[in-house]
Amino acid sequence: MTLFYGLLVGVAMGAFIQRVGASSPAMILENLRLKDLSVIKFMATTIAVGSILAYLLAAGGAPMHFDIKPTYVIGVALGGLVFGVGFALGGYCPGTCVVGIGEGRKDAWAAIAGGVAGAFVFTLLWPVLEPALIKPFNYGKVTVPQLLGASPVVAAAVLAAVFLTIVTLLPTRPGEAPRG
Amino acid sequence: MRSPPGAAVAGPRPAVPMATRTASPPASASRSAARTVGGIPPWASLGVLFGVTSALSILAFGPIGVSGTYPRAIGSVARAIAPGWAANEGYLVKMGSVVTPESLLVVGLLLGGFLARRLGHQPRPVAAEVVHAVERTPGRRYLTAFLGGFLILFGARLAGGCTSGHIISGITQLAASSFIFAAAVFGAGILTAKLIRPRA
Repeated sequence: MTLFYGLLVGVAMGAFIQRVGASSPAMILENLRLKDLSVIKFMATTIAVGSILAYLLAAGGAPMHFDIKPTYVIGVALGGLVFGVGFALGGYCPGTCVVGIGEGRKDAWAAIAGGVAGAFVFTLLWPVLEPALIKPFNYGKVTVPQLLGASPVVAAAVLAAVFLTIVTLLPTRPGEAPRG
Repeated sequence: MRSPPGAAVAGPRPAVPMATRTASPPASASRSAARTVGGIPPWASLGVLFGVTSALSILAFGPIGVSGTYPRAIGSVARAIAPGWAANEGYLVKMGSVVTPESLLVVGLLLGGFLARRLGHQPRPVAAEVVHAVERTPGRRYLTAFLGGFLILFGARLAGGCTSGHIISGITQLAASSFIFAAAVFGAGILTAKLIRPRA
């Protein structure tokens, strides 16, 4: 049954990504060049709504399957930097290229092929990378409210308020006439 | 005036240089594909819908994520064709079986992208949008897409997640690591995007 839920979530997510234009590499580059912030605003809105809803459900006693990724500072930061360069180079992320294939983009196949190659090379280098970049400075599965000693619902509400304020105030297309 | 961000490359090997090809901007490139409804921009309505979906996903099976499916798929192929090698690759063993809700989510992305375009009666997107000045031939565009794909998966696997698993799901759950990852991605991504010359 959880497999079926996974499929449903994927179809919905793929449709949202396609409709907002995030599967378009040109659109991603417009966002990274800060000419059009619609995908960044879409992500911030998603996080704000998801965070407050997930932690409210948890507070209400719902059996949530949270899965916090461990904070190994070096590997996470380096991985993010490598990811950022690739994101700007290709204009795809690991999910949007799959959506791109679904809607008929041919270069998305090249991005997937590159992704498989990247994951394969990472697999081969794992015995070297794990002791060097993942095991040191690993603070485990920690959340910001845990670090601050705050309630997760309150932290989620603060995050949602900050994100929603920013997306409301920022123009969607900086440098052009009022937002639309 | 800004030029449309994406130019069309119709096929893998066009006979004329790309600069001379006239192209209408792809529907989804310069503006969001979805229309503004009742004054609410698409990024807002779609963001709310995606936020609800992401919270329900945590309730149903776990946070959304994509990049882990790549090594799991490699592992399943490797176990079929080279079981001895696969059993000794620590990372493939660690990532486990490809039969997970997350893998079905990736299949769903394919369907969702297809259905959203078809049911939205949108034109087929151009095969390969040109986004950088260096992409003067289709081959160059396919090369940058490949290199980009390589780096995002290598980076995501090093960090333990990608845009969906780390940035969306991670910050949704308020994970400390995901704030670090997001800052690094947007720092390097914006810098790289500003440094690479855009298509004129």
